[in-house]
Amino acid sequence: MNPNEPQKPVNENGAEPSAGLSTVPVWLIVVFGGLFYWCQLYLDGHAGGFSKEVYAPYDSPEAVMAANPQSEGDKMVTIGREVFTKTCSVCHQPNGLGKEGTAPPLVGSEWVLASSADRIVHIPLYGLTGPITVKGVQWNLTMTPLGDNLTDEQIAAALTYVRTKLGDNHGSPVNPELVKAARAEAHRGPETADELLRIPLQ
Amino acid sequence: MSAIVSPARTASNTPTEPSQAGKADCCPVGLLYLLGAGTVWLAIALALGFLDSLKFHDPGLLADSAYWTYGRVHAACGSALLYGFGVQAALGVGLWLLCQLGRTPLAGPFVVFLGALVWNFAVTVGVIAILCGDNTGFEAFEMPAICAPMLFVSYALIGVCGMLTFHQRQEGPLYPSQWFVVGSLFWFPWIFSTASLLLLYMPVRGVLQASTDWWYAHNLRMVFLGFAGLASSFYFIPKLLGRPLHSRQLAGLAFWTLAVFGSWGGIPDGAPLPSWIASVGVAGTVLTAIPMLAIAVNFYQTACRDLNTLDSSPTLRFTYVGLLFLIIAGAQQIVGALPQVSAITSLTWFGVAQKELFDLGFFAMTVFGAIYYIVPRLLGIDSQTWCPKLAKVHFYLTGIGILISYLALLVGGIGQGILLAAPGHSFVQVMQGTLMPLRMSTLGDLMFLAGTVVFLVNFAWVVGTWCRQCCVAARKEAK
Amino acid sequence: MNNGPLLFLGLFAAMACSWLSFIMEPQLQIGSLQQTNTVAVGDASAETYPLAPPGDAHQGEEVYRADGCAACHTQMVRPQELGSDISHGWGARRSVAEDYLFDQPVMVGSQRVGPDLANFGRRSDVNGILMRLYDPRSLVPGSVMPAYRFLFETRKIEGAPSPGALVLPDRFAPAPGYEVVPRPEARALAAYLLSLRQDGYLFEAPPPPQPKTNSVPGAAVKK
Repeated sequence: MNPNEPQKPVNENGAEPSAGLSTVPVWLIVVFGGLFYWCQLYLDGHAGGFSKEVYAPYDSPEAVMAANPQSEGDKMVTIGREVFTKTCSVCHQPNGLGKEGTAPPLVGSEWVLASSADRIVHIPLYGLTGPITVKGVQWNLTMTPLGDNLTDEQIAAALTYVRTKLGDNHGSPVNPELVKAARAEAHRGPETADELLRIPLQ
Repeated sequence: MSAIVSPARTASNTPTEPSQAGKADCCPVGLLYLLGAGTVWLAIALALGFLDSLKFHDPGLLADSAYWTYGRVHAACGSALLYGFGVQAALGVGLWLLCQLGRTPLAGPFVVFLGALVWNFAVTVGVIAILCGDNTGFEAFEMPAICAPMLFVSYALIGVCGMLTFHQRQEGPLYPSQWFVVGSLFWFPWIFSTASLLLLYMPVRGVLQASTDWWYAHNLRMVFLGFAGLASSFYFIPKLLGRPLHSRQLAGLAFWTLAVFGSWGGIPDGAPLPSWIASVGVAGTVLTAIPMLAIAVNFYQTACRDLNTLDSSPTLRFTYVGLLFLIIAGAQQIVGALPQVSAITSLTWFGVAQKELFDLGFFAMTVFGAIYYIVPRLLGIDSQTWCPKLAKVHFYLTGIGILISYLALLVGGIGQGILLAAPGHSFVQVMQGTLMPLRMSTLGDLMFLAGTVVFLVNFAWVVGTWCRQCCVAARKEAK
Repeated sequence: MNNGPLLFLGLFAAMACSWLSFIMEPQLQIGSLQQTNTVAVGDASAETYPLAPPGDAHQGEEVYRADGCAACHTQMVRPQELGSDISHGWGARRSVAEDYLFDQPVMVGSQRVGPDLANFGRRSDVNGILMRLYDPRSLVPGSVMPAYRFLFETRKIEGAPSPGALVLPDRFAPAPGYEVVPRPEARALAAYLLSLRQDGYLFEAPPPPQPKTNSVPGAAVKK
């Protein structure tokens, strides 16, 4: 250390330090406010409405919905749920479990959940009569045809809802084309279980 | 190099000064043990880190030994650094500050010593267990479940003594350092118990484990180590300059904003979590600009007229440099949190550089400075017992070492990020390109390790001198 | 601020704030996720996701954890907008919370010294993984990954060579008359790495917009 330089000696054993009373500079408060504002803007743009389903790069639940190709399928399910509530649930019950003497169950039914919908499309179109075994139980009732009251899309939507969303059902959706093809077969009279079994599953 | 010995110091440095009486020197063993063992752990961690980085230069090194696998050594190094050194040094410095500022002796010095013994035992078990393959798999929380209760109990022993010391203070008004020490004393048990329960004993489901761990690691660094280091800076700079801290209000602003916003974050952008979690983290991290600015302004205003005294004491020198590194590390963290930047830099060496600068550049340097001041006073011997030459060597080795290592990793990380983002570079090519910066960083780490070893020698010399003096005094009394 | 209890209360409030937003609220939102269905794309139908990994993958996960593989490998794919992970072929979509349901512990990692492994099982095979573990440079020249020879046993060939012995390039092959056989840990680790896949698109991470053109209502139906 240069002895000529007026060096302030280090205060090794002096009093304990105290703190001055200067106030926080105004500019720092302004910066704080500015950053806080920026953070709010940032969260508006990037927090995705604090939803658990929004992951970057989407910025809102609507954007995630819009990005999902399933949105078309979802539309079908929505229509299907409506048709089911208005028409099917009257006999098959809102929970899809059917009712003794009225209609067999749809939830867990091997007819509903078959690998393809080729057989099941015929039932709402043309109705069903005669004995049929569902989940190991024999039923012998008659279902009226609904093909004249419902469009292909409505039937496909209702079946999609029943196959994919009703109760524990996790089957595949149903294409309206399939209903159209079945309608083109120019059927006469209601289906029976035996006739249905003759239709090959794809 | 005579700067270390200033004339004023020699005159006034007798152990039995009235202002020093009734302080921690009644029983130095607990605090001395915390500080000493902490420094030894730092050297161990650095040595493990060095061994680890050798694998980049010879990937076949020790490939036949499971114990010295890169991943295991990496985890052991991190645990030794954070728990062996970080927590112990934070407690040692913090408790001493509580005694000093409260003008009261340490409450339960033997309980503190016992706690420190258990703590060291637990960390030793943990590090060995990691090397044997019992690693929890969580970053910054790698020690196996058996260590957590031991660590918690020993921390509680020490922490309760700390709180009692704080409670018994004689001085009415609190000095900012006391807030910071109390903050760090409380913070650790909260985050540690959360992490232990939610990661080890009742593990949360799925990716929440990762988010809990990120939150924990971020809090451990930013808030716990940050508070502990700042407590020391806020004490030593005004104390050694002999002038009051510029502003108590600014210190308060820094304290509260660091507690509130520093505890948010640590979640990498693009993490597999709903985007609001990372976004809130980004917002919190950006707002840590406020504590960083408040700290910078406060210290600049306190010390700007005395910048030429920077070189006059090892304590001041280390503390100044530590603060400077804190501000740089804080700024880097803020910049790195911005999505435009993190798209390139996240998950690269960039983040490692930031953590290293924070742990070694800020925290370890600040603790070195504190130890230079605390230990002689704890032992009641002349602070000139420190060999000034070794202290200088220590300063330059660690300071230049961390700077080299940091800059190399920073440049390597940015380069890695940019090349990975650009099309047409295979991953292997990019990683080959980072080898040169990694070599530089190994060199820097080696210098830091050498500096720490020099410091340990100096430390041992001081403690040895104290032992000799005690022996002489005892012999005199016997006669 | 000279009041100890007030200081404590303030700290507690700050802590609670952070804890509620980073621990509690995420736990309420995604703490009890269950398996879900993938988004059906094109001809594929929706499938249950994620599926529980096979048992030996669990043992391999323990090896992955013990040896600290997560120090260098992440298991998260970032969206295209936040990094180049998808262009590096590390995954077809970003990772979401659903992908980690069966991991214990969850080792997402936070640094990439090696490539991301979220979908490693889709782009590797047992033999390749074992060769990489024995010496990464035997398969990827210039790799910076350390060798994990302790997962293998080099032993003298007695009689016929073992069926599981590694087929290594000459430069890495053991001395004549010796063979390199993976230990059970290596096999388990390979099984774990093969189980790493984040298949299928999910509601939160839908497929990129291109294939949307063929998504007429019910397009996912089997013909």
